[in-house]
Amino acid sequence: MSSRSASSRSSSSRSSSRLGRSIALHLFLTPLALIWLFPLWMMVIFSTMPDRGIFSPSIELLPHGSFLDNVNNLQRDTNFIGAIGISVSVAVTYTFLSVLLTSMAGWALARYQFFGKGVVVAIILGTITLPYAVVLIPQFIMVARDFKLANTWVALIVPPLFNSLGVLFMRQSFSMMPGDLFDAARVEGVKEWRIFLFVALPLARPMLAALAIILFLASWNNYLWPLLINSKPGAMTAPVALGTLIGLTKVSWGGIMAGAVMLTVPMLVVFVLLQRHFVAGIAAGAIK
Amino acid sequence: MAAVTLKNVVKRFGVFEIVHGANIDVEDGEFVVFVGPSGCGKSTLLRMIAGLEDISGGEIAIGGKVVNNVEPADRGIAMVFQSYALYPHMSVEQNLSFGLRMNGNPKADTERRVKRASEILRIAELMKRRPRQLSGGQRQRVAIGRAIVREPQVFLFDEPLSNLDAELRVQMRVEISRLHKELGVTMIYVTHDQTEAMTLADRIVVLNAGNIEQIGAPLDLYDDPANRFVAGFVGSPKMNFLAAQVVGNDGNATLLELANHGGARLQKPLSGAPPAVGAEVVLGVRPEHFFEAGEGDCDIAVKADVAEHLGSVSYVYANAGAAPGANAGPEELIIEREASRQRATGDHMVVSIKAGQSLLFDKSGARIR
Amino acid sequence: MRYQNATAYRFLAPYLLIFSIFWLWPIINSFLISFQATRTVPWRFAPTFNWGRLIGDPAFFNALKNTLLILVIQVPVMITLAIVMAVLLNSPLLKARGLFRFAFFAPVVVGEVAYSAVFRLMFNLDYGIINKLLNSVGLPRIDWFSNVTPAMAVIMIAVTWRWAGYNAIILLAGLQSIPQDVYEAATLDRVSKLKQFFYITLPLLKPIIVFCAVLSIIGTMQLFTEPFLITERGGPGGGTETLGLLLYRQGFRSLNFGYASAIAYTMAGLAIAISLVQLWLTREPK
Repeated sequence: MSSRSASSRSSSSRSSSRLGRSIALHLFLTPLALIWLFPLWMMVIFSTMPDRGIFSPSIELLPHGSFLDNVNNLQRDTNFIGAIGISVSVAVTYTFLSVLLTSMAGWALARYQFFGKGVVVAIILGTITLPYAVVLIPQFIMVARDFKLANTWVALIVPPLFNSLGVLFMRQSFSMMPGDLFDAARVEGVKEWRIFLFVALPLARPMLAALAIILFLASWNNYLWPLLINSKPGAMTAPVALGTLIGLTKVSWGGIMAGAVMLTVPMLVVFVLLQRHFVAGIAAGAIK
Repeated sequence: MAAVTLKNVVKRFGVFEIVHGANIDVEDGEFVVFVGPSGCGKSTLLRMIAGLEDISGGEIAIGGKVVNNVEPADRGIAMVFQSYALYPHMSVEQNLSFGLRMNGNPKADTERRVKRASEILRIAELMKRRPRQLSGGQRQRVAIGRAIVREPQVFLFDEPLSNLDAELRVQMRVEISRLHKELGVTMIYVTHDQTEAMTLADRIVVLNAGNIEQIGAPLDLYDDPANRFVAGFVGSPKMNFLAAQVVGNDGNATLLELANHGGARLQKPLSGAPPAVGAEVVLGVRPEHFFEAGEGDCDIAVKADVAEHLGSVSYVYANAGAAPGANAGPEELIIEREASRQRATGDHMVVSIKAGQSLLFDKSGARIR
Repeated sequence: MRYQNATAYRFLAPYLLIFSIFWLWPIINSFLISFQATRTVPWRFAPTFNWGRLIGDPAFFNALKNTLLILVIQVPVMITLAIVMAVLLNSPLLKARGLFRFAFFAPVVVGEVAYSAVFRLMFNLDYGIINKLLNSVGLPRIDWFSNVTPAMAVIMIAVTWRWAGYNAIILLAGLQSIPQDVYEAATLDRVSKLKQFFYITLPLLKPIIVFCAVLSIIGTMQLFTEPFLITERGGPGGGTETLGLLLYRQGFRSLNFGYASAIAYTMAGLAIAISLVQLWLTREPK
């Protein structure tokens, strides 16, 4: 009798301490989450407000109806729709090429023994911590002056194709696959590039998806390089076009916010739909 | 069909030599099993024959042609992997035909070969399924089928049954034996399981730490092992090893005293030179070669610890205990008994050893005949 | 595995080609350019021209000071916050986990330009929502962009907002790779949750925390867009000018490639020093 009441007391105190901890957890995390969502929420609100609403003393936290007007204002300030077109085309092309390049390199590093492998791996690891600033200036001189490629798609797509975290991610993905699978194909006389295309790549589909998302996002949001190399109005990407407006005196801030929303919301939707791949792609850099 | 010859084959990884000059002749149509504990180099040897590993030294010939620098696909071999290595994103049919399709084999011929393999292995009704929809045994059949489709001169098996449960393993063993008879081609099979080796092989190659310990027919290895390693590895349960000392030599026989059995002595006839008096030796006795007291040449007393009753036979795990003044540690012996003569735990029993059904080894493990 | 040099390099070729042209050569070239006077035609070799100027340039030391100040304050705050986020998101007690994950991870997909614009507007003196909210609770509004200290604060807040979730994702993956039975064993040993965090979670997570810190430091060291767009080219009066911004100004506004390269190599030197500290921090105990 006494032992039974003791045990029920201890289990109820355990569940009440769990409840207490759960409440404390949510009390702390909910305000933090709201603060974190606040800038995104304000971005959307601003994009729906006319300029005189944005620059008025009242506090506005709910959406209005001026989004399309703001898009028009933005389009009047800069050819944003055209810039979006360039951004999409460049990001798609870049993603395709970069996935191909990095997965080929990752495959070689994961699945072949060859002379100089250690050096190649060391180079890739070394460039992770190397500031991009070191290559920026000569890259610019070479692409703009020597190759005369400024304000072209090639300038936006090709130099960023070198990417070290992606290669390490694909190397990791390929080396986790059972090697017997590829040996079986080898014994059957399947050529190496066909093993890569028809056995390895199909098996790596989830990892390729993660990689593609991360690379697309990187290209979509890239700012510094496109700002330097494609500064001519008709050749700007969307972030660069939007950036030129920030700081101007006679500019529609509702329009800038509408542009920010157009850059951000599609990515947020992709993020929600493919969160698993996103998280895998980002986490892969650090977790072996 | 083809013979496979290994001449002084060496494998090094950096400074580590893991196969130390292997010489093996596999005859045309023969079923040879490489057996040994894990890490003995048996899989490496097989992968070198397949061309999946470089050969660091020596020569491998298939069908009389040296293949050291020949691509795996051109060696006339097919391989079945431990993990089955089925392409998870392809149907069974695509798995079987993948290699042929990739090499531009005529479509009609590919279909004929796939059909034949599916008939031999009775997997025709599985052709549209993906590997993950198959049971372990079915996957194994598909993996073998993929090898058959290649119509190879030599089949290589790398521990193909180790992922199956015990019952299926017996069934597939019979199946592979049947396949060998039906196709009549050379087969080389790697396993760590001596039962598989004994039941499947025409000849067994016993490997240990990169060395070939012995090559021979299963029963030859069982009856006449070259050394203590082979004697201990082949046979289940394992052979018992009793510490002994040479106390006298008399013409063609040597007199042994068993260290842990209170001075029990055995007169063991030898064909070669007997070891020196005073030498420490080891007497090997298989579990089924312990006889009832008085039936053999030397009686020893032991205490039964545990008995395992398998129905047809029982195995008694007996402890000899270190006798006072004994020069060896305690010995555990496994004694086979007919099921009807079960012993209770804790019983003392006396068993008898026959000189003719025991083997003698020196301290280094070499056989003294 | 067999040695397959030809095959391996065929797969690596396009990648290595891009690397050689757009990284390897620029890395070398940047070093060479830093020893040249680049505002004369043709460029001429002048080993002390840029480096000598660097040592005596107050603009450089101002940018270096600002960059290090941001590093020293922002990175530890953000990493601590990211650890807290990761640990709490990993709690089995958490409800509506998906919503919380979305809230903290969403900034990861937001571009620099978009969020710079939003922060600039939010912190506007007269009409920014932050000052309106301060006013509504009776606090004085702050002139964020005319004074150095609040301007620096805005930069740090913006960078922290953008990157804390990113680091939390990496840390969360690290947390999830710690086997659960370690915690179960500790619970049986009557170790409190808080002690479990300090004596199990943190030590096991250390390599990943260091990795996050190094990536963050190297990222923050090159900070460019935020002072460029939020505080209007490093304003007020160069008070938020960073090394990244100085490099941009020297290299691409004044077209002084030699001097900009010297600044870039200073950043590389800092990065190498930080990487060495990382290696030392994560070394295997002997």
